[in-house]
Amino acid sequence: MKKIVLVGKPNSGKSLLFNQLTGLRQKVANYPGVTVELKSGRFEQFELIDYPGAYSLSSLSRDEEIAVSKLNDALQDPNTALVICNLDATRLESSLMFGLQVQALARRQQKAVVFALNMADELQRFGHQLDTVALSAALGSPVFAISAKTLLGIHEFRQGVLALASAAEPAVPAFDHGDEQALRDLSRSLSRQYGIQASLVLKNQNRIDAFMLNNLSGGLAFLAVMFLLFQSIFTLAAPLMDAVEAGIGALAQFVTGFIGAGTTTDFLNDAIFGGVGSFLVFVPQIMMLTLIIGLLEDSGYLARAALICHRPLSFFGLSGRSFIPYLSGHACAIPAIMAARTIESPRKRLITMMTIPLMACSARLPVYALLISVLIPERAYLGGLVNLQGVAFFGLYMMGIVIALLVSLMLSRFVISRDEKSDMPFILELPNYRLPHWKPLIVRVISAAKSFVYRSGPVIFAVTVLIWLFGYFPHDAGGLEHSYLGQIGHFIEPVFAPLGLDWRYGVAILMSFLAREVFVGALGTLFGIDGADENIAGLAANIQADGLALGAGVGLLLFYVVALQCVATVATIRAETGSNRIAIGLVVGYGLLAYALAYLAANLL
Amino acid sequence: MTVHTTAIQTPVQHTLWDAPKKASVLVVELLAGLNPLVVNRLREMGLEPGQQLLSLGRGPFNGPLVVQIQDCVYTLERQVAQHILIQPQL
Repeated sequence: MKKIVLVGKPNSGKSLLFNQLTGLRQKVANYPGVTVELKSGRFEQFELIDYPGAYSLSSLSRDEEIAVSKLNDALQDPNTALVICNLDATRLESSLMFGLQVQALARRQQKAVVFALNMADELQRFGHQLDTVALSAALGSPVFAISAKTLLGIHEFRQGVLALASAAEPAVPAFDHGDEQALRDLSRSLSRQYGIQASLVLKNQNRIDAFMLNNLSGGLAFLAVMFLLFQSIFTLAAPLMDAVEAGIGALAQFVTGFIGAGTTTDFLNDAIFGGVGSFLVFVPQIMMLTLIIGLLEDSGYLARAALICHRPLSFFGLSGRSFIPYLSGHACAIPAIMAARTIESPRKRLITMMTIPLMACSARLPVYALLISVLIPERAYLGGLVNLQGVAFFGLYMMGIVIALLVSLMLSRFVISRDEKSDMPFILELPNYRLPHWKPLIVRVISAAKSFVYRSGPVIFAVTVLIWLFGYFPHDAGGLEHSYLGQIGHFIEPVFAPLGLDWRYGVAILMSFLAREVFVGALGTLFGIDGADENIAGLAANIQADGLALGAGVGLLLFYVVALQCVATVATIRAETGSNRIAIGLVVGYGLLAYALAYLAANLL
Repeated sequence: MTVHTTAIQTPVQHTLWDAPKKASVLVVELLAGLNPLVVNRLREMGLEPGQQLLSLGRGPFNGPLVVQIQDCVYTLERQVAQHILIQPQL
């Protein structure tokens, strides 16, 4: 199939144009370790490929480098029939340079180029008429003024693209405009001649920014937005997560109903529906988070949020853009690690991804709740305003953040090297404030869910089945204590003894490497409480009666603050960094740190 | 009492980082010391000698500089802005 290549700068309406031309069915190709994504879809008899937005063809980061080299490959491909260069019609001065670079590159490969000057509806609003005929004569390639949002000029553009892409002889750009300096001069003079005045376009944006970037009002607006974000991750996603859980439960009952009791049913119930189901539960949260971050990004606010956070976070070797991933990490580390893709510097992105697992994610909540009710008496001060257990909760959350910042500081000072391509300075374009369009958002949400399931699913499946097998067999020996897992627990008891913990905690900790919340259920089984997830108070009473030393208990809490016990997170880190070493290194590193802290607590308290 | 000003004017070098809020300034020179890749990017953004810029002030909490270059608004962090020599536009 002949291909059409779509390129453009970020924030220029490119994704929406792609969606308008291809519809909602599209394929996404990812490259491990970088954020480069190639989307492709059908446009009439052609395959339309959307290249990542780039500010320039001379790359600054590794992500950009790969994006540009993919573009070069596409231009050399004999099947490429046409290059569509999508530019922001309201900002000719800053976008024509990119357009001219693309044009020169295409000319060298004898490929046809067409310019789509997008967002022309905004020009209309200012009463500016873009002379596309004169501009295309000056550029030496056809120019269309369009709006992917209002569909202004889209019909003519489609016809034009089809004609150009089907032509027997490619419409190669007519002129060689010269070297880089000549391109810069040309882009400046053309934009002066044909573009709209910058002050007109930027007037609104600068007025809103005067409010949004003011110390007081900007700070308050920031807090309000983040509060809403945090709330919606939990509240809006909760009913969806319940629905997924209920759906899987019903499916499990339906399927196992046919089989009857036995090993197969136990396997299906506990390993397949229980284990894999508990990972599918995160899909709604991932979708919700992707939607909200997409809304923030497309409306233009994300860039401002990053600007506000940049200074405090850069002290710790992080970027302003690390803030949203950190915040999201309190719901679930997986979407948070995926959200780190928006970080401009690969180095800071890596540090952010490596420290996100320290945020107190929702899977830690049941563990914290159990141990706090065992260790901390329920006492209220200041007339019920301050609750001792609540303070302990807050303390654990803060501890996660503080440790994450300290680890970031260490990683950035001592561990992760600064090479030229990985430490890109914080140069951020503040795009115009715009109302987001639903089409690219929906596509994005679905593709985030898909990529989570496809990339993390296999690893999670394998580990779940393995842990289940060890916990289930030999089956006739009598329960978890005598299973292989229980035997391993007894065997490794010396490892946990210095922490003041016996083999039962050892088994629960081992099992919770699958997912932290498993700790509560496993401990419930071992302490003879069925359904401990719903009966935390009963389990807490049993543990208290059994006697858990304060030091050992606090140590256990610290262990759960730090240790990376989540297969899904490890799988996501592996997929996003493309490195086994980093993923395994984190499990080992955080495991050792967690053990050391627990040891100190058990022996000093 | 009269105040005598010194006759010899020492040339004071202002960088973009020092530009006051709402000030329109001209780029004089990009100082050495920046990564050449970054310099190239800055040039493509329009940061060239003779280019007029509008400083929109620092981000909240003494954050990065917000500056209008041509028809775009960018933020530049301190280490970059301090490498851009400017003079006030009269």
